[in-house]
Amino acid sequence: METDLGNRRALGLWLAHLRRTPLLIFLILYTVATGGPFLWVAAMSLRTTPEIFDNPYALPIPAHWGKFIDAWTVSKYGTYFWNSLIVVGGAVILLTIIGSMAAHCLARYRFRGNRAVRIAILSGMILPPQLLILSLFQILLQFGLYNSLPGVIIAYVSTQLAMTVYILEGFFAQLPQDLFDAARMDGYSEFQIFWRITLPIGMPAVFTTITLNFIILWNEFLYAIVLLTDDDKRTLPLGIMHFMGAHQLDVGMIATGLMISIAPVILIYAFFSDILIKGMTAGAVR
Amino acid sequence: MSADVANTASVPSKGSAGIGARQASPGTIAVFLAPAAVIYAGFIFYPVLRTLYNSLHTVGAQGVSTFVGTENYIQLLTHDSVFWRAVGNTAVFTVVGTIADVLGGLLLALCLFSRAPFARALRIVWFTPVLMSYVVVGIIWVWLYDYDWGLINLVLHWLGLGALEQSWLGDPSTALWAVLVTHLWKWLGFNMIICLAALYALPSEVLGAAELDACGWVAKLVYIIIPMLRPTLLNLLVLSFIGKMMMFDLVWIMTGGGPLWATETVSTYVYKRAFKWNTFDLGYPSAIAVLWSAMIVVFIILMTRLLRQRDRLEF
Repeated sequence: METDLGNRRALGLWLAHLRRTPLLIFLILYTVATGGPFLWVAAMSLRTTPEIFDNPYALPIPAHWGKFIDAWTVSKYGTYFWNSLIVVGGAVILLTIIGSMAAHCLARYRFRGNRAVRIAILSGMILPPQLLILSLFQILLQFGLYNSLPGVIIAYVSTQLAMTVYILEGFFAQLPQDLFDAARMDGYSEFQIFWRITLPIGMPAVFTTITLNFIILWNEFLYAIVLLTDDDKRTLPLGIMHFMGAHQLDVGMIATGLMISIAPVILIYAFFSDILIKGMTAGAVR
Repeated sequence: MSADVANTASVPSKGSAGIGARQASPGTIAVFLAPAAVIYAGFIFYPVLRTLYNSLHTVGAQGVSTFVGTENYIQLLTHDSVFWRAVGNTAVFTVVGTIADVLGGLLLALCLFSRAPFARALRIVWFTPVLMSYVVVGIIWVWLYDYDWGLINLVLHWLGLGALEQSWLGDPSTALWAVLVTHLWKWLGFNMIICLAALYALPSEVLGAAELDACGWVAKLVYIIIPMLRPTLLNLLVLSFIGKMMMFDLVWIMTGGGPLWATETVSTYVYKRAFKWNTFDLGYPSAIAVLWSAMIVVFIILMTRLLRQRDRLEF
């Protein structure tokens, strides 16, 4: 990103005169506005509710780390966390397998109906969830999957499949055909080609879809609220909402729950930010 | 593409690698596509068809449905004032939000692109709201808007603008805008990242040439940068547009559609009619979903047509 010095210099010049105080003030204000609320919740998650009502904007001194243990056990955030992990983990594994198989097939082979299949899958990307969710509710009810974690996994796989195939197919299509020709001459079967060539070489893209799907689904709310009603089956976003509904005034404990739900996402972002951003830009810039 | 002669098995024709190598037996293709096809048929196509079917019926809790023809749609179009209120709110949300989203994202990206100090760190901080779930964002902002101890009112008070203090989410005249600000806060970082990627992909000669022509920065933005970013901006407009047309989570978490339907969106209304009002009828909300989806698709087609058209005329 640093290579295009000419670019930056040129633009740097025309913004130079504008850049002084107003711009600097704006940069600071916007940074405070975006980062501030996060730090605020982080601070509140370590403070008790009476402390917060005494002064909502003070530092967490002393820090009540024990609140996280309470949140995990007494406030059932632990249960919600595991439910989220099961649902999201299951959906991401299935999406990765099913999506990369379909993407490999679409990117690699010419066959009758190729275009139709592609359009059908991609149309899923702009489909409003409302069009699906009411009858999905009925269908899962019929099969006894309503109010169950597998039911939510199915819903998540079907809604994220389009984006997964879209990103993977775009990447797989760029892999040089020579690789596959060579593999065939070595006597690889079609499935071995997929398993031994496409997947290993396409790992960066596969990883992108994994992180992207994980974050999107970890934060998912609409399908979860329609398809899950048991308290013991709630995912983290639902659990927090439910807790908020029942204990409106226990701001301190809600904040702890919020931190628990943010933590995995921040961790992933800390380690895989480039991969994640590549995935997001692939979805929008291409 | 007339290569499907003589290609019964998955044997590649060695000489013409390009075409023959891309053939595979129908069986192979079926195996690769089967899982995706099953998921699609069972959980996308079938539900969509079933929603269409439901929209012409009254569907009871036990799955008993009575055919009512277009009655749901007629009711919806002529007698349902809440629906039209929701459409109005969603329209305001979508139009204002989409424009603000894309312009704001572009401006933030320009700030970072023009060598702002600490650009890398700022990019990371500005992007964090994108990663937070609507539940997290919604609850934080409900607190920020709180009448008694919310930061917004405290800052106003502190600035000596105490007269402006109010219950932002509780007042029908401000609630929609309060939710919109929160939505923008969450998504600006996303638009910024996309615009930034597109800015870095610009050919530097063009910007350099403009520099030589002593082009002012406004002129440069309007005549060079925006036209060259048009495909990206168009994508962002459509993405942002789709997202806001389907707006549910944030509204549901922050206001539940209230006060007095001031923030009701079509999505929250569908959800309420289907699961909250104890009407035990999935037919009517299905009709709303069908009608609304049709409108979304029409708008997306119009939007891409309109913007692409201008594209073609100028170049």
